[in-house]
Amino acid sequence: MNNWRFKEIVVMSVLSVVFAVVYLAFLPIGKVLVGFFGPIGYDLIFGIWFIVSIIAAYIIRKPGAAFISETIAAMVEVMLGNATGPMLIVSGMIQGLGAETAFAVTRWKNYSSWVLMAAGVGSAVFSFVYGYFISGYAALSTTYVSGMLVTRMISGALIAGVLGKALSDGLAQTGVLSSFALGKEFRKKRTA
Amino acid sequence: MFLHNLNPCIKALTIVLLVIMLALIFDPITPFLFMILTVILTFLGGNINWKKYCLYFVPFLVIAFGMLWTTIAFADAPANPHEVISLVGFDVPKESFVTALALAFRVLSVAALSLLFILTTNVVDFILSLIQHLKVSPKIAYGVLAGYRFLPMMKDELAIIRSAHRVRGFNHAKTLREKWNQYKMFSIPLLASSIRKAERTAIAMESKGFTGGKERTFYRRITITPSDWFFLCMMIMSLLGIAYISWEFGYFKWYNGEL
Repeated sequence: MNNWRFKEIVVMSVLSVVFAVVYLAFLPIGKVLVGFFGPIGYDLIFGIWFIVSIIAAYIIRKPGAAFISETIAAMVEVMLGNATGPMLIVSGMIQGLGAETAFAVTRWKNYSSWVLMAAGVGSAVFSFVYGYFISGYAALSTTYVSGMLVTRMISGALIAGVLGKALSDGLAQTGVLSSFALGKEFRKKRTA
Repeated sequence: MFLHNLNPCIKALTIVLLVIMLALIFDPITPFLFMILTVILTFLGGNINWKKYCLYFVPFLVIAFGMLWTTIAFADAPANPHEVISLVGFDVPKESFVTALALAFRVLSVAALSLLFILTTNVVDFILSLIQHLKVSPKIAYGVLAGYRFLPMMKDELAIIRSAHRVRGFNHAKTLREKWNQYKMFSIPLLASSIRKAERTAIAMESKGFTGGKERTFYRRITITPSDWFFLCMMIMSLLGIAYISWEFGYFKWYNGEL
């Protein structure tokens, strides 16, 4: 944490706050889907709940960005007074750890699309293992549970990985990220 | 009201412990009784508007219902397929139905616990308590507080961006598709302006001497009193007590390695 600039911490917090609101906005959508399809309804759009770790890690590119941003987003969700209470902080931490693992494997050096998608899948797997125990998926049949896992992994790769990268690239184009890792890389590419 | 005066960190810890315990219980009676206890406690110990409470609680009923029917529909093959009960004209294995009911009540009892926390906890106290008791880095915690204060500003910012678009000839979105496109168009400027503001806030805080060091002093100290520990013990004891009661009546069932 010591090699972080304060600026990066505040920007990461703000991103987490913004996406906490987005996360909350997607909860009722998830609930409707669950009402129709059962627990797999959440898995269809689960990737949206990993997006901030991918965006923060991609922009700031420092160890811990994925984990901390997701944790903060979960905390803000709790503070805004909805969702599933303090337990949500735990699930946020687990999702963040999943994404962080993918970045840790590349030693926080590689931020290509594949790694970002892998981070989304990592969050999906971690959160699924956690959900397996907390929500009692043990009572469901194995086929259904594996269907849920695969759906969540795809959702993580596409919504969190691909959409997250697209949003961050869009932000980099505006120039506001010029003092962050992503903005610097963007400028280098442009001058080259 | 005593729930409002509890230490936020201990309150959160209590709830996390209770949820983990609830996750191990697989019978419907225990979570049901515990949910009722939690709701009663929330209203006795907290100053809560019941209309607001219902508004928050209703969505969880929808989830619980979804949980109920899918667990029945996609359940594992039951051990005793001959024991069936009739449910709106369908024969359902008793075992699946009981498990489904258990999962649905678990959702509701976790929801009741969460509402107890959310509706009785002050945000700033919670963050101060995180720094003072859980040793969260003040750098991060104050960063979060600053970010949290941006939310109302973002609403204004959205209004400004919307007006700016209208001035340039974009009309009000009417259909769902137009609205979606509009949000796509708003998202980048909204994020960009928040990032700019965040950068400025960070510079302002640093220039006024905020170092984020652990040795800082606090104007407001959040305390941990014996009554916080009493609350923690009481809640856990009552869950154990309820589990014992349902065990006495032969309902109790808990997780034993079903995969």
